[in-house]
Amino acid sequence: MRAYTPKDDVQKKSYYTDRYYVAPQVPKFDVETDDVFAADLKAIKAKFKVSEAYIQVEQMVVYINPKNIHAVMTLLKDELEYNQLSECSAIDFIAARGGFEVFYQMLSMNKRKRLRIKFFIKQDEAIQSVSDVYRSADWAEREMYDMYGVIVKGHPFMKRILMPDDWEGHPLLKTYPLHGDEFAQWYEVDKIYGKEARSVIGPEIRDAARVDRYDTERFARLGHEVDFGAKFDENQAETPIKYQEDEGVFMIKKLDSSESVTITDRDR
Amino acid sequence: MQQPNRLRPFFENITFDRDDNELVLNFGPQHPSAHGQLRLMLHLQQEQIVKSHPDIGYLHRGMEKMAENMIYNEFLPTTDRMDYIAASSNNYGFALAVEKLINVEVPRRAKVIRMLLLETNRLMSHLFWLATTALDIGAMTVFLYAFREREYLMDLVEDYCGARLTHSAVRIGGVPLDLPDNFLTDLRKFLDKLPENIKDYEDLLDQNRIWKMRMENVGTISKEMALDWGCSGPMLRASGVNWDIRKEEPYELYDEVDFDVPFSDKGDNYARYKLYMEEMRQSARILYQVIDMYAGTSPELMAHAPKFISPSKIEMMTQNYSLQQHFVLVTQGMRPPVGEVYVPTESPKGELGFYINSQGGPYPYKLKMRAPSFWHTGILTDLLPGHYIPDVVSIIGTTNIVFGEIDR
Amino acid sequence: MAQHKIDFTKDGGLPVALTTIDNVVNWGRSNSLWALTYGLACCGIEMMASGASRYDFDRFGTIFRASPRQSELMIVAGTLTKKHAEFIKRLYDQMAEPRWVISMGSCANTGGMFNTYATVQGVDRVIPVDLYLPGCAPRPETLQYGVMMLQQRIRKEKANRSLKPKRLM
Ligand code: SF4
Repeated sequence: MRAYTPKDDVQKKSYYTDRYYVAPQVPKFDVETDDVFAADLKAIKAKFKVSEAYIQVEQMVVYINPKNIHAVMTLLKDELEYNQLSECSAIDFIAARGGFEVFYQMLSMNKRKRLRIKFFIKQDEAIQSVSDVYRSADWAEREMYDMYGVIVKGHPFMKRILMPDDWEGHPLLKTYPLHGDEFAQWYEVDKIYGKEARSVIGPEIRDAARVDRYDTERFARLGHEVDFGAKFDENQAETPIKYQEDEGVFMIKKLDSSESVTITDRDR
Repeated sequence: MQQPNRLRPFFENITFDRDDNELVLNFGPQHPSAHGQLRLMLHLQQEQIVKSHPDIGYLHRGMEKMAENMIYNEFLPTTDRMDYIAASSNNYGFALAVEKLINVEVPRRAKVIRMLLLETNRLMSHLFWLATTALDIGAMTVFLYAFREREYLMDLVEDYCGARLTHSAVRIGGVPLDLPDNFLTDLRKFLDKLPENIKDYEDLLDQNRIWKMRMENVGTISKEMALDWGCSGPMLRASGVNWDIRKEEPYELYDEVDFDVPFSDKGDNYARYKLYMEEMRQSARILYQVIDMYAGTSPELMAHAPKFISPSKIEMMTQNYSLQQHFVLVTQGMRPPVGEVYVPTESPKGELGFYINSQGGPYPYKLKMRAPSFWHTGILTDLLPGHYIPDVVSIIGTTNIVFGEIDR
Repeated sequence: MAQHKIDFTKDGGLPVALTTIDNVVNWGRSNSLWALTYGLACCGIEMMASGASRYDFDRFGTIFRASPRQSELMIVAGTLTKKHAEFIKRLYDQMAEPRWVISMGSCANTGGMFNTYATVQGVDRVIPVDLYLPGCAPRPETLQYGVMMLQQRIRKEKANRSLKPKRLM
């Protein structure tokens, strides 16, 4: 019987986890412990529903409703002095909860505070673009779409950004294997030479653990230069490092290493 | 047999010569002054750019995916390859984020060494920036001079960690090695010379007519635009925002050293150039102070946190339990608590942040790198229209983008 | 000096050397290897360093050119990604024969540490490679040594045109 491999999460798993291991938590603090954050949270709460808020590692995390994202961002920018959106991306929780968690990392330079807005969306749910509030969201949202397939509504140029335009699949999904699916593995061969060339060029060698010193097709060693694919075994003598042929080169003065000077004084 | 018609680029559907006199120009992805693999689609009216569309991803190597499949320590060398001009600053950013997550404090000597590495890396990066930008504009001499100085720093870092480019010189919880014998004296020698060298560059460039014509009032970024596009570091400071994470949210020993943050309100290429020069001087000033700090520190290099960080070599060799612990940490990896952190640091290019979401496993559940260059490339969309073709090169030059960290 | 005044019997004899065409052509080829700058990633920085003041590649007649039409050596320095693969093929096709390719660094050799969906596992899947340089990143000395090895190999080759153009397939 073939070994069972879960299809919804193909990331590497630890080979051993103690059954009784309970992972500790990074401590969360109440928002009231920080005056600035408390005031900000109050302002957000006055207009929008906040499902959860806490402070973790000196930054406030606020969970909001995905429908309000555009309005919350406008509020943050216009009234609460959060003048930069430093990062925005998604986290894949499809296997566990059937959707993504999207976060927006904000920075206020006047208050010297950083804040994270988060919300949860279902897998096929679209979110509202905030690229008209913060221009930096433009590229961040494109990357989010490229990597996770999260559709962003109202975005001026919703296209892939990092992967080629004709790429299939969204690489950062947990269902996407690290070494790529079949499309990815043959992408360059298919594109340049055509599918017929697959048999000529051959599959990629993806075994990272394979180390073979005598493999002269995939490894090169200085001082042991051999031709591509030549046979090379243990007894082969080291090839001496030579910069010129012994018999000299036509029209070129032979290098005489005794004449060369080594500059030892680094101060010139 | 090769079939030439198979090579069909994506932009083939654009008519390159149009009726309305608009020309579409493809720049890159393999252009010597694109600082890597930037591709720009420029719409031109005569010589003037009316629309620009940066196309990135030609160096996307899947680092974030790799992170999800690697234990924390295993991932550290990969961060070298992000901003490969200043590798240690990436190592440091990642290590600091993990340290915040597992909440360990690094011993003081390790902090001093990290500061030395961070600032030498900043110098290296700025020198490299000067060299390449000058070369792009046509000042070959400055390129040769700046590379000469950079090689000295490379030698120093090589003395410390053995690699010229890909340092991996910081570990989670400290640094792996103490400084080699002559490091501090050599560094001091270099720093003593540096003001002269900087003056050489400035003598060559500051009043140079060509340099000024291609730099002054070209690529002006307003304050609002810089903030809006998420710019950071020199790009933001040249536009009149005095924001340096080293000063505002100090990490490591930056609150103990005395330095100024230069900023300018011009926002053009020339302002950025002046800023880089001034930052080099400030880095030298920081380094002098850090060199003096080194002497009084006790020799511990790694933090003591047996649950997360391997014990020292001596403990490992003498105590059975430490050896076991080390074995578990190497084979299975540390398991940080459940939670998330976002830790920003000021890399030579700007705000380098690492967002880590841990679900209690030995692999990060999600690792997002906030690379400054990504946003500095994004701003080209709005910055280039209105400029002329030759300006493109000088603007790309002064944005100081590195593709390893844009595409990751 | 007017031509008739040169006394060829003195001053080291006639300005003539006897040799084969092969030798002359290969002498020219091997000592003016103009390289197409193909810096893709970190290794590209080391390639630049080898062209700069300390390592000074010009000594070997290796000058970096930005155009495939003017160069016969392609130094692929860095990670080749799937998105970029078609361009490297295109630029390689534009180079005039005879042409050589150095793959610099483990990324270009085998994909290196980036064993992921986005990286081509070795440039030799796309274009034929003559010389593989190990290292991540190879030092400039390694690149220099590699170029000198290539020069030695070129000197051994026949200069005539019946050589088959190098094609992956
Ligand atoms: S071989 Fe190493 S240094 Fe070279 S491009 Fe690859 S990762 Fe960078």
